[in-house]
Amino acid sequence: MHASSSFSRSFPCFGFLGVAVAGLVSLATPAPAASPPDFVRDIRPLLDRSCAGCHSGEEAKSGLRLDIRAEAFRGGDGHGAAIVPGKAAESVLVRFARGDEPEMQMPPADANVPALSPEEVAILAAWIDAGAPWPEGIDRASLVDRRDHWAFHGVVRPAPPAVRDERWPRNDLDRFILARLETEGLLPSPDADRARWLRRLSLDLTGLPPTPEEIDAFLADEAPNAQERVVDRLLASPRYGERMAQHWLDVVRYADTHGYEVNTERANAWPYRDWVVAAFNADMPYDTFVRRQLAGDADRDDAATGFLVTAAVLLPGQIGADDASKRLARQDALNDILINTGESFLGLSIGCARCHDHKFDPLSLRDYHALQAVFTGVTYEDRELRSAEADARRAEIASHRAAIASLDAARTARAPLVGNGSPRASVSPRLNVDRIVPRRATRVRFTILATNSLEPCIDELEVFDAEGRNVALASAGATVISSGDNVAPGRHELPFVHDGLEGNERSWMSNTTGGGWVEITFAAPVMVDRIVWARDRKGVYTDRTAIEYRIELADGADVPLEQVADASDRQPFGASAPTQAPGDGSAPADGLSEEDRAALAGIDAEKTRLTARIAEIDRGLTVFAGRFSSPEPARVLHRGDPEQPGDEVGPRSPLAFDDRLPPLALPTDAPEQARRMALADWIVHPANPLAARVIANRVWQWHFGTGLVETSSDFGRSGALPSHPELLDWLAADLVAHGWSLKKLHRSIVLSATYRQGDAMTAEGLAKDSGNRLLWRYPSRRLEAEGIRDSMLAVGGLLDLSMGGRGFDLFRSRGGLNGFPPVETFSGDGLKRMIYAHKVRMEKESVFGAFDCPDAGQTMARRRQSTTPIQALNLINSPFTIQVAEAFAARVDRETATGDGSRVERQVKRAVRLALGREPTAEELVDSVVLVGDHSLVAFCRLLLNTGDFVTIP
Amino acid sequence: MESFPRLSAAGASLLDRRGFLGHAATAAGGMALLDLLAGDGLAGDGAAAESGPIIPVIDPSDPYAPRSPHFPARAKRLLVIFCAGAVSQLETWDWKPELVKYDDKPLPGGPAVTFQGPAGNLARPQYDFKPRGQTGKMVSEMIPHLAGLTDDIAFVHSLTSRTNTHGPAENFLSTGFAADGFPSLGAWTTYALGSECADLPAFVAIPDPRGIPQASGNNWGPGFLPAEFQGTTLSASAPVRHLVPPASVSAGADAATREALARWQKRRLAESPADGALAARIASYELAARMQLAVPGVADLSTETAATLRAYGADDESQPLKAAFGRNCILARRLLEKGVRFVQLFNGAYASGGELNWDGHSKLREQYDRHASILDQPAAALIRDLRARGMLDDTLVVWCTEFGRMPFFQKGAKGRDHNPDGFTCWLTGAGVKPGVSHGATDDLGVKAVSDIHPLYDFNATILHLLGLDHHRLSFRHNGIDRRLTDVHGRVIREVLA
Repeated sequence: MHASSSFSRSFPCFGFLGVAVAGLVSLATPAPAASPPDFVRDIRPLLDRSCAGCHSGEEAKSGLRLDIRAEAFRGGDGHGAAIVPGKAAESVLVRFARGDEPEMQMPPADANVPALSPEEVAILAAWIDAGAPWPEGIDRASLVDRRDHWAFHGVVRPAPPAVRDERWPRNDLDRFILARLETEGLLPSPDADRARWLRRLSLDLTGLPPTPEEIDAFLADEAPNAQERVVDRLLASPRYGERMAQHWLDVVRYADTHGYEVNTERANAWPYRDWVVAAFNADMPYDTFVRRQLAGDADRDDAATGFLVTAAVLLPGQIGADDASKRLARQDALNDILINTGESFLGLSIGCARCHDHKFDPLSLRDYHALQAVFTGVTYEDRELRSAEADARRAEIASHRAAIASLDAARTARAPLVGNGSPRASVSPRLNVDRIVPRRATRVRFTILATNSLEPCIDELEVFDAEGRNVALASAGATVISSGDNVAPGRHELPFVHDGLEGNERSWMSNTTGGGWVEITFAAPVMVDRIVWARDRKGVYTDRTAIEYRIELADGADVPLEQVADASDRQPFGASAPTQAPGDGSAPADGLSEEDRAALAGIDAEKTRLTARIAEIDRGLTVFAGRFSSPEPARVLHRGDPEQPGDEVGPRSPLAFDDRLPPLALPTDAPEQARRMALADWIVHPANPLAARVIANRVWQWHFGTGLVETSSDFGRSGALPSHPELLDWLAADLVAHGWSLKKLHRSIVLSATYRQGDAMTAEGLAKDSGNRLLWRYPSRRLEAEGIRDSMLAVGGLLDLSMGGRGFDLFRSRGGLNGFPPVETFSGDGLKRMIYAHKVRMEKESVFGAFDCPDAGQTMARRRQSTTPIQALNLINSPFTIQVAEAFAARVDRETATGDGSRVERQVKRAVRLALGREPTAEELVDSVVLVGDHSLVAFCRLLLNTGDFVTIP
Repeated sequence: MESFPRLSAAGASLLDRRGFLGHAATAAGGMALLDLLAGDGLAGDGAAAESGPIIPVIDPSDPYAPRSPHFPARAKRLLVIFCAGAVSQLETWDWKPELVKYDDKPLPGGPAVTFQGPAGNLARPQYDFKPRGQTGKMVSEMIPHLAGLTDDIAFVHSLTSRTNTHGPAENFLSTGFAADGFPSLGAWTTYALGSECADLPAFVAIPDPRGIPQASGNNWGPGFLPAEFQGTTLSASAPVRHLVPPASVSAGADAATREALARWQKRRLAESPADGALAARIASYELAARMQLAVPGVADLSTETAATLRAYGADDESQPLKAAFGRNCILARRLLEKGVRFVQLFNGAYASGGELNWDGHSKLREQYDRHASILDQPAAALIRDLRARGMLDDTLVVWCTEFGRMPFFQKGAKGRDHNPDGFTCWLTGAGVKPGVSHGATDDLGVKAVSDIHPLYDFNATILHLLGLDHHRLSFRHNGIDRRLTDVHGRVIREVLA
């Protein structure tokens, strides 16, 4: 039934075939029908008039093409055969044209084409009933092999071409560039001067400008291999990994929050970010880099699989309680894993085949779901890092936590008794202890009678027995009920009142203003010694505090509650100083003995020590790198709709690549990890045409701003064509030949004559290649957001080069009612490189976010370089700029205490050297000296940070 | 567009489609050709669906230059009143007398569980409805001032969303995709049309005085469009960030620095006159300087008359939130008067159990009383004021919310759960047919049953009124020609004048 080519016979999958040539469409009026209807005379004119607008060509709607016989008979997505010969009543074409299903009436009213009259529908039906005779060989379009696309052919290492000017190339890649320029009658640009090249190289490889000392050393180095040594120094710098990791994190849309509406913290994402930095710095072979990100757990490299789960995801509490919502959310989450894998490693927009066969590439709906089967055992969750060292740290933390718990218990055990005759401390939002004469009970009820504002919120209700055990914990078997809850999924939920976790983010909120109760029933009767409760033990929130309350106990389900404590013997709310640290809420008025005081001081000191130790070792033990379990069955979902499941499919690589390399094909019961390992093998298989090309192109883009293929995450048939296909293949082959070493690839690129060119415009170049796709000049461009911030801190002498760990905060609070108020001046951790910021999805950093900084919503293969007034306002007026300008000025002042000429001239020269890596021109010097003299050095430093030169990779 | 002569059929097919246009669009003559097609109506809706993408050409040194629509536009600028949290259609615009009859009765065959949990019994509209104006359409007493505009409004009662979760649904309403990371309607609009105001942002988002909406900056984000097209946030109480330097910088030093910077940059440009990036940079600082002068002026409401303040409720000291929203409404009008292309005015903030926005899960009536008193008078005054100033002739006003609510209460609560299957948004002003109610939900308001329109259609209609073909307005990202309406969308012609 399909087009007769040798290919289609050997490869019976229609999805790979697309349009080749569309002929002229004739819009003749249909001739009056004589019987029997003739296709060319009676039918095709109707199709042309009323259908072809949408249902012809490669982008035909719903995948239905009526311009090719085989396609027309096959039908489009999900409605079955459009034409069933002999059976008009079963043919979708007739049913839809006749309006059997009003919602599917064709053509639709807004298509602005004439509908088929009843007579015309009758002609159509008669033709189909007569067997739908559609002669072979008259189709206006024919199908082509969608696999016949440059990027899907194997990489063949081409010989570098001959060039006329043999003196210009410095290495083989230059020959490809020069040969093309010569063909187009263009000349490469003269070399950039050495200082400019060094600045370009430093910004490009490390994201930081060279220091004046580095510039001087390089300019003074007359050795023939001076360039090589600078390149090697920069590639060996840890700053290199930070710079390249930023590029990679854009591609995978890394962030430290979950995204979507609640956008809560993804607290353990950062070990993956640090893994990426380390992998680049270690020059991890790229094939290993791919393998680890898909299946690092197989090599005990756990953080690497953070790759799988970098996308935004709905948390369980945000997904509707109905099953359909859950299924859709799961499909969305899996889709994002496929997008990451397909776009990052293969340059394939596999996500486009989620609902229908890919419109351009040889990827069917079935391929999509078969690839999905690789990942159906992956969920977006934390996983414990596994290593002996991690285990030892975990054990130590557990023992310290236990010790702290006993210290806390010991501390609260010294709280003054309820009703001891002297007033107890005021209620504190941060911690309150109600210690009673021990009393047997099976349940406790805490009733709020008044709050300082709004509905009450309690982060944790603890009940200790005389031995200091918290018997109210859910983990101790206790259960909880309440008067009613305000639920904010993941933040305020009733179970959080006894989950052992502190703070507003794990708390219970009543649904009644100024009132409500919670009641906890213990696993067994206990002797209650004290009740400990707070609004927010972390001390962030002070609203919603229960200032009048009642605590009742009962010894049995049917025994009435009896009050054991309330606020009546406490000082009025606000009368005593709020508790500053987790303690017992006591004030000096409590009249503790000297002995008790000393004991408490000892307890506090020990607790401080243990807490500090935990903070020191409890980093990166858990990583948001996916949790792996027995895979769910993967099914071909009709239209991608989880409510329309079809056949179950096992993990399978797309069929179209089967004749290029051995397919990945596993049974439906294949073990989980084996699936991901098999996919990794398939991606980095030497015969896979995409993996090496895609990364070689990315690296090229990182150095030149634009890849040889402009759409660096789409190498498919709708992606851009490579400007230099042979060069791309040469780079890809060379990468693999050198053990997939990216540093070797960088080295050959940045040492090339191509990279060394100046960036000046020429009339000739602009006329013939205004977009500079042929690289007749070096494409200077604006630094990315992170590069600007890092460079500012560097020249200001403020940059903290410590690496890794939880990100520093860009916002004073994260979401909720307070929104995302930005941190405006930074200190401490906040002076680290921006890659180490806590990246909040969707919320752009208040100064640099405007510089086309991706928001980690969708993958970002290539950043734009827009220029906006908001950027200008941010860079000239932000407190951050002023902070840096002041530090920069102070540094310049320190460094110009001695020397020749006037102090102000020395300052201007030093500042320009630090910021721009050059000497000021005479005019610049004169003008700037006036500014410094009339106003300040700070003003001039602020100016420099705003110059085009400062923010440009030259 | 109907008045324009169409290309001959043969001409249309000669100029077909991707093959030709795709390449032509990158060539020098591409835009001219697109203009020709646009003039011939092929760039309009419907029949031209299969013609190639239109990708505006942006001059980096003048990204906000006004650009022509694809076909003659009815509206030159747009005000979107965005009610965050999902306003109940049943308490506002979609009158369901049957619900009164079946109040407190179970819905036979209804879902046992909806978004937040078990379903309770059907619940009558929590407000009375009255016939309004010439059309006599029944509208709720909850919003008496807005109800007074009924004759001018085109309601679409049969909208559907793809998701029943606030964040993704706000994304879907504002960006056409439930996922994070796609360009907002305002970004698309300013990308397509540029601005007609040289010294204010082309796209301003005015957050509610109570806080930011659930999907936050997604609603005014550029997604993968160039950053030029991001909305700038500004409200009557929160100025544009970084509009002025910190107080530690004296005015004299500030001015001298800027002037010296301008000289510095121009000297550099003189050395390399072809450096377009530097030229764009200089232009951006000049525009920033103009914004510094213009924004405080437009945000300064002290020149408004007492009568205006009163009309908008902006003087209502007994209701500070209403007064603050009223001031935002005045600001919206002032921005539109200055030619700002797209003003997005938020009413309602973060979910917060329905306390700060329209998410009435548990005590709907009590919360809506408060929310309505903030929204109603100021928003109605804004629309009346625009009309009185003749601005509705070329300003489109959109009232929208991310989805609707269920006809039954949640079990054990006095509020309604999320309902993405049938809800109401409306249009008024330029190009809109007044007094229309299009589409319908069933008798109880469970879901849309006639003329069902996914929000794609609503967005397609908005673009259409701005003279833009939603099928064709595109941006190439990762190899895909992305559109506001994805691969969907039909203009709702029934609401067009």
